[in-house]
Amino acid sequence: MSKRSLFRLVWTLLICAACAYFFVPLSKVRLGLDLRGGVHFELEVQGQEALEADLRDTRDRIQERLQEKAITGVTVKSDTSSVRVDGVTPETQAAVTKIISNFGGYTITEQGPARILTQKDFYQKSLKEDANKRAQQIIENRINQFGVAEPEITPSGAEGNRIVVELPGVGEAERERIKGLLSTPGRLEVRLLSKKQPNQIPVKTEAEALAYLGGALPEGTELFPELVEEPTVVTNQMKAAIRAAKPGEKKTDNVRQWVLLETKVYYDGGAITDARRGQDQMGTNTVNFTLNREGADANAKLTEIASNEGRQFAFLLDRKVISVLRSEQKIIGGGVEIKGSFNQQQADDLSLKLKSGSLRASMKFLEEQSMEASLGADSIRHGITAAVVGFGTIILFMLLWYKWSGLNAIVALTVNLIVMLGLLGSFQATITLPGIAGFALTLGMAVDANILIFERIREELDAGKSVSGAIQAGFDKVFWTIVDAHVTQLFAALLLFIFGTGPVKGFAVSLTVGVVASLFTSIYVSRFIYDWVLERHPGTKTLSV
Amino acid sequence: MRIFEKLPHIDFMKWKGVALAISWGIIILCLLLARPFTSHSRVKVGMQFTGGIDMMVRFRIPMEADQIRSALQNGGVNGAVLVRYASPAGTEDYSIKVKAKEGQDSKDSTAQINKILDVLKALDPQSKTDSRHDLNTESALALSGKWYDANLLGVKGDEQSRHAVYDGWAGKVTEARGAKGAITDYSQLPADLPQPLKDMVKKEYRLGNMTLGRFESFSPSISGEWTRKTLAAVFWASVAILLYVMFRFTMSFAVGGIVSLIHDVLMALGLFVLFGYEFSVPVVASFLILMGYSMSDTIVVFDRIRENSHKPEYRRVTITKLVNDSINQTLSRTILTSLSVLFVAFCLLVFGGPALRDLSFPIFIGVITGTYSSIYIAAPVVVYWDQWFGGKDKLKQHA
Repeated sequence: MSKRSLFRLVWTLLICAACAYFFVPLSKVRLGLDLRGGVHFELEVQGQEALEADLRDTRDRIQERLQEKAITGVTVKSDTSSVRVDGVTPETQAAVTKIISNFGGYTITEQGPARILTQKDFYQKSLKEDANKRAQQIIENRINQFGVAEPEITPSGAEGNRIVVELPGVGEAERERIKGLLSTPGRLEVRLLSKKQPNQIPVKTEAEALAYLGGALPEGTELFPELVEEPTVVTNQMKAAIRAAKPGEKKTDNVRQWVLLETKVYYDGGAITDARRGQDQMGTNTVNFTLNREGADANAKLTEIASNEGRQFAFLLDRKVISVLRSEQKIIGGGVEIKGSFNQQQADDLSLKLKSGSLRASMKFLEEQSMEASLGADSIRHGITAAVVGFGTIILFMLLWYKWSGLNAIVALTVNLIVMLGLLGSFQATITLPGIAGFALTLGMAVDANILIFERIREELDAGKSVSGAIQAGFDKVFWTIVDAHVTQLFAALLLFIFGTGPVKGFAVSLTVGVVASLFTSIYVSRFIYDWVLERHPGTKTLSV
Repeated sequence: MRIFEKLPHIDFMKWKGVALAISWGIIILCLLLARPFTSHSRVKVGMQFTGGIDMMVRFRIPMEADQIRSALQNGGVNGAVLVRYASPAGTEDYSIKVKAKEGQDSKDSTAQINKILDVLKALDPQSKTDSRHDLNTESALALSGKWYDANLLGVKGDEQSRHAVYDGWAGKVTEARGAKGAITDYSQLPADLPQPLKDMVKKEYRLGNMTLGRFESFSPSISGEWTRKTLAAVFWASVAILLYVMFRFTMSFAVGGIVSLIHDVLMALGLFVLFGYEFSVPVVASFLILMGYSMSDTIVVFDRIRENSHKPEYRRVTITKLVNDSINQTLSRTILTSLSVLFVAFCLLVFGGPALRDLSFPIFIGVITGTYSSIYIAAPVVVYWDQWFGGKDKLKQHA
């Protein structure tokens, strides 16, 4: 064997070996959700909510500072786009201005006795970005704690405000529960009930509650709904009754009453270091959590006030009251127990949310897909059968049509297959059902390159060229045709890759990889095989093509 | 083996006018029959583009479409479209589609999904008499979680290793559902499943008659985005191909190539709709592949026209003869290369199952028309273009 042939052989084998490394054993190849079953969500962070939450925070902080400085007569309110500080008098003006000018992200406009604070553009942007980043992190936390193997959580969307969550092996039974874990912020707040008014208001709507309070909220208070208690043990008869009564509507919130709370938040979910489900002596489900030092101090202060003044305090989750407690004594140390109306699973989910941290904004479901595993297995069987039969037909056809040259094409095609699998493996691409189709189709197209070359060689032989001359001319003259044909296909594949997601992306990756592999094998490997054969039979007069 | 023992001398260009008329006639007829943009349109568009819910349910009890339809209506689900699928014996597969209303947000669709699921579950008579969980809809994760909580096998070790043991068994149970997608008798549980687990499953699970095979829900906002994205992909692919052909060949080739590409896409579109297939994102992907393929097929012919135009023997002949000879010289390879892809597309169509059928149909059609259009659409356009705008000398200068 000449040095050149040896070099080319070694080179080809090396490439094959390197590719094989990426897909042997075959379990290294990752299957998409459409083949292995699982759920897929595309979520969008509701950035507007993060802005509104910040407005509320700002309002609370201004109120706190006003109280600290003992400034009275000034009211602070927030709506969905601004904070309004009203009732500023010439005497309090200097002090108020000093307080509100501390909020750097806000533009302040004067309107008579009122000061309007609105968020600056850069500040809104950073709030949203923060919410996006946090959402990614928290969702990862929650999914990991839920215990799904090999979850895939990837940011997407031009603004970075979307998250694609893919959970293999998760079925219909947990879909709803996981949706709850993914979409709700899970923000816990602890506040005292206001002492100025009757605390609990037994009406169902906010308007009625306001009317009950005489039309206006007392200063420094807010109204919150308390959800109705669900029985801890749901019997099967009850379940059947619920199902029969109103399909689909049982999951709506049911307000039991409204509660008037102070605006001051003693501590929130951020102070929680650990949380788990527990049970009290009565066998009711509880959520127990541990606070960090700051939180423990705040809790001690809260329980001290509550026990001294005989007042109650409330746990709020996502701005809804889940539990109202009273305290007999000051509690030191960071252990807290929430008794609420949860069943075992809800208690589990709540502690999971508390442990994983809260989202800045809730998430909206843009897309939801689930695939049953057995259906996926079915697809694999169909896809593989189609691909194998297709491949087999091509092999048979090439051998019949081109005889020994056909064998050359098959070797090239096999190398092509190895290179494709290797490239797919090295990109850690997932194989999807359209991906299998793309795989089969590219093999069909790869053989096209060989056909073009062989037909050209036949033509050159017919024109009276020698075997080596015909091979030389065949490859040279077809080179640009093959490149052009491949490039146009590459355009289509690349655009698919840019615009597609999920299974379509799998399709695009297979095609792109297939086009590249086919260029290599048809031009390099096939040529090498011919040259090698010519080397062993110099001066041969016939070529089996 | 050869298709033609001697180089064929078919006068393709003689019939170019007739061919152009017939094939565009077919396309127009197809599009007229498909009636897009009218209320009786035959164009079927997937939920990914319109927003809504698309699910596939399998019943293992006799179930009539009307029964499901009226149950859905009674349950307050309106506008559901039911289609029955071919399915293995003893099972009945239905696809249920509900288009999203305008302005529907994700809370509404969640409520709607739950409504539909409740209605479907209630259709299984067993669910009324037996309150246990359904083993056939329980996921491996949930099953393993239950075993883990009770630690039925008394496995020792840390959390992870205990989970691993139960995960393994749970996976085997769900695999036992097999091709039918369900365990219909407790004896079908894996034989080596430890007795305590088996007992627990028998005690706490019923074997339900309904499973949700596939489920998709798209919000209207993202579906609009999908439509824009796919149209943009098709548009930019055409532009990229056009520019590349202009760069590699001349304007007349680029126009010829694009016209034949549009021809192939329209033909495949028309037949796709008339055969009752439904558009989905993978289908659009396969149309893009068709575009790439159609063009590469045309390039083989173009390349030969360009090569011949440099040869001394074609210096003094008409453009018609140049094109005719080039087509004849490349005819056998045009047919052969198409055949090889056609084999694969045919296999995908026949053996690929329902999911691949939609996707391979446009390619199957596209390969056939792609071959034809390289000869009868692309080449005539080059001839016409050159006769009207340039003459063959111009073609040769640029080539």
